[in-house]
Amino acid sequence: MLSLLILIPLLGALAMLLPVRAMFRVWFLCAVSFTYALIVASFWRQLPAAEWNGYLALDPLGLILLSVNGLLFLPVAVFMIGYFQHERRNNRIFTACLLFLMSMMTLVSASYHMGLLWVAIETTTLFSAPLISFHHNRGTLEATWRYLLVCSVGIALALMGTFFLAIAARDVHTLLLPAILNGASSLSVNWLKLSVIFLFVGYGCKMGLAPMHSWKPEAYGQATGMVVVLMAGGLTQCSFLALMRVSQICYKTGLSGFYASILLVTGVLSLVVPAVLLLGEKSIKRSFAYSSIEHMGILVLGLGLGGIGIFGALFHMINNSLAKVVMFLTAGSVAQKYGASHASLVRGVIHTYPVTGVFLLVSLFAGTGMFPFATFHSELLIINAAIISKQYVLSGLAILCLAVIFIGIAKVVLEFAYGQPTDPVLAKKENLFMNITIALAAMALLCLGVWMPAPLHRVLHDAVTLIGA
Amino acid sequence: MSSLLNVTFPVLAHWMIVCLLSPFFLGVIARVKAFFSGKAGPPVLQPYFDLARLFRKKCVYSSTATWVFRAAPVIILAAMMALSLLVPFGICKAPVQFSGDILLAVYLLALGRFFMILAALDTGSSFEGMGASREAFFSCLSELALFMNFITLALLTRSISLARMIGADVPIVWGGMEPTLLLAVASLFIVLLAENRRIPVDDPETHLELTMIHEVMILDHSGVDLAYLLYASALKLFIFFGILVSIIVPVRTGYPVTDTAIFLGGMLGLAALVGIVESSMARLRLNRVRLLLLISFALAFFGLIVTLWRA
Amino acid sequence: MTLWIDVSCILVVFLALSVLATNRIVGMIKIFAVQSFILSFVPLFLHADAVSGRDITLSLVTMVLKAILVPAILFWQIRHISMRSEIKPLIGLGTSILFGAVLIAVAFWVSLSLRLPGKLLSSLVLPCSLATMLLGFMTMVTRTRAITQVLGYMVIENGIFLFALSLFDAMPVLIEMGILLDIFVAVLIMAIVLNHINEEFERTGGSAGRSKTGETV
Repeated sequence: MLSLLILIPLLGALAMLLPVRAMFRVWFLCAVSFTYALIVASFWRQLPAAEWNGYLALDPLGLILLSVNGLLFLPVAVFMIGYFQHERRNNRIFTACLLFLMSMMTLVSASYHMGLLWVAIETTTLFSAPLISFHHNRGTLEATWRYLLVCSVGIALALMGTFFLAIAARDVHTLLLPAILNGASSLSVNWLKLSVIFLFVGYGCKMGLAPMHSWKPEAYGQATGMVVVLMAGGLTQCSFLALMRVSQICYKTGLSGFYASILLVTGVLSLVVPAVLLLGEKSIKRSFAYSSIEHMGILVLGLGLGGIGIFGALFHMINNSLAKVVMFLTAGSVAQKYGASHASLVRGVIHTYPVTGVFLLVSLFAGTGMFPFATFHSELLIINAAIISKQYVLSGLAILCLAVIFIGIAKVVLEFAYGQPTDPVLAKKENLFMNITIALAAMALLCLGVWMPAPLHRVLHDAVTLIGA
Repeated sequence: MSSLLNVTFPVLAHWMIVCLLSPFFLGVIARVKAFFSGKAGPPVLQPYFDLARLFRKKCVYSSTATWVFRAAPVIILAAMMALSLLVPFGICKAPVQFSGDILLAVYLLALGRFFMILAALDTGSSFEGMGASREAFFSCLSELALFMNFITLALLTRSISLARMIGADVPIVWGGMEPTLLLAVASLFIVLLAENRRIPVDDPETHLELTMIHEVMILDHSGVDLAYLLYASALKLFIFFGILVSIIVPVRTGYPVTDTAIFLGGMLGLAALVGIVESSMARLRLNRVRLLLLISFALAFFGLIVTLWRA
Repeated sequence: MTLWIDVSCILVVFLALSVLATNRIVGMIKIFAVQSFILSFVPLFLHADAVSGRDITLSLVTMVLKAILVPAILFWQIRHISMRSEIKPLIGLGTSILFGAVLIAVAFWVSLSLRLPGKLLSSLVLPCSLATMLLGFMTMVTRTRAITQVLGYMVIENGIFLFALSLFDAMPVLIEMGILLDIFVAVLIMAIVLNHINEEFERTGGSAGRSKTGETV
């Protein structure tokens, strides 16, 4: 079943390369995404069996990421129906890369082998690069370049980390996750420590954590909204899965404290940096990119704090991706209407496009973790974990940063929504497909905020026990 | 009386060999360069003729020059001759050797350079002052590399006597530390070029260029003084050749004739190599010279690290 | 054969340092090609007593891909615009060399506490590969042009390759991963080509010069 789930988008991607009409491709993409989401939903009843000699297997951690993928691709596909009604550019490569990406992200969630995991994450970088430069202009190409450069260095470091892990696990003779976890006592600690550092920095680059974040504002600022949704909601969390796998190994080998200290420092840094940089920001996409750095910081903090923090981080993975759907699809929809995403050109959206304007406000609250959206709950859980573990300074700093980030984003978004109206350059109408997608995602986020379904709670709980509480 | 003779005889013999042979290699280098530029070139013994001519001439002193200017050539030549006593050449063992003489060797080099710079400054000519400043700057860097290489050799041979570091113990070291020694040799070769002001660093042929280093400092010297300086630089080249050849071809067959032949062959080969380098390369710009010397330092440093790693 | 592996390792590090100490792009590419050429012999040295078909294949693939193809692509790319000229690094070349020497020391120092388990032909592989990676990283950080950054990245990659070779027997899958990384490099280069074409396009459009991020390709 798992290999089928990888193969469906892969074959779909090949089919996309055929010369057919642009809209046909989009509808086909919708169909694939829908099938994909259905299969993923069926996994919630029964986890699929391991395949390829145990290289592919799905545990609760992978299931959460897989569901996030399903959650992301469906709205993006529906949004694309609206988007490509206005877009004249040939979408052959774009849709093909999108489906390749879907396939590789599935491989990331299902790979139970550290080497395979690396290969999958590396491949996602390759296929996401053409997506960023969908609109061929100087800005997007430069952003693609920056993204490729930082992520490729990161991926090289992660490869080195994987090699170190291989040396540490020399007595195990394999990089299969269960084998490593079972033979945890035979791992060589020095090599493992080195491996953890390299893997963390490597995958952290891909995740866009604070010192390695420089590609994020560029790439997110230049790419179209749909692509950014996949990157901010999906790709970065794929790397987070890798960090959680490392966490699993550290837990079994008693290196949790060592790993947690790295996670906490980077996590706090990823909150402080966007808080500082956001204050001078005028572009909505770039400020949302800083918010993405912040959310990655929150995830890492939760993972580092352990216990209820891990639960919060896993819950936040889902919330974050939903919030990203709302935020970046709204930003993309604004950018498509105004032909810009800078505050000097876009103001008073709520007067010209009431629905999109409301979505802007919703994305402000959803993205910054305001009640009653679910992001509020997951962030609260993580701060709670910090207070439980007596990290008062850390929790205080985190709350301060979240407040500053709220102010920073509110400043931009409110100017967009309420400022003196400017004329939209492209003057397109509100699109039904676009708006329905955003509304549904916002509703889902709202529902999760007030009610957590029992199966979700169970899976999250199972996942937490894997990392160790 | 006999003990005094026992001490003085090897010293005098060593000096005789060194002083007789050293100008010869200047001639060899000039000949190789001439060959590569398609000219007949001066005879190999030309440096001897030059020296003989200069020794017959009188010195001319500027009115501003003080005693430093007059004393410098003698001191420089004396320093080089003293230095030559510490270095073994082929089967000729170093007549003076004691633990730690490597420091004396480096300081003798520095003493010569110090007086060279002082004498250049003493003339009061801005031209020579410029050369002196360059000499001081570049020798800072080349001395660093030289020291680094000596430390490596000292660690490898476990002795701090120059004669042992480049003589007796080197063949054993070649048995297992080839990479390190290769690095040291490469670094020392750059140091050799720099210390003797050969082509990529300085052009010994030109005399009136703004960028030159060594030749500009001896512009005011004449007659016997100039002969002393010329002789001193020939000695310096010979000493560096001797050090490098002792490391590169540490062959000890036990037959004096074969050993001498191999050593002299090595010296000639090295002279030819220097000649080839000089004819195939252009002189580097001054700021690139710094880079060359830094690379030599990096090589030496790398060699030292590898030595420590292996130890 | 330990001697040959040792010499190769040291040459690889030295060439990485030379890339750092060069400011001509043509020179950098040539040095990189030589480095890859030396590296491609290491698989043969590692199994000199019984060279298998796999060693030869790996050696040949490396040579063709890294020592010929990648430099050729890079040369082809710089042929177009006048970028053979010297480039100004962020910090001076002399300082770079000194920093490079320090980085080599750091790599060896780190390797002191890391002993590779099992029998190894040469103890220099680990520190030298780390040093090569660090030097490549330094090249990437101190150079602002895209092509020099790619060169730095490929030096890093050569360091990783050297390290992977020492694990050759234990982890066959890892080699395949290394080759994948090579493909990745190829794509990276294509990205520059793309960027490059774009710049040419823009130049004919009239707006030449540096972009807002300060990068020129």
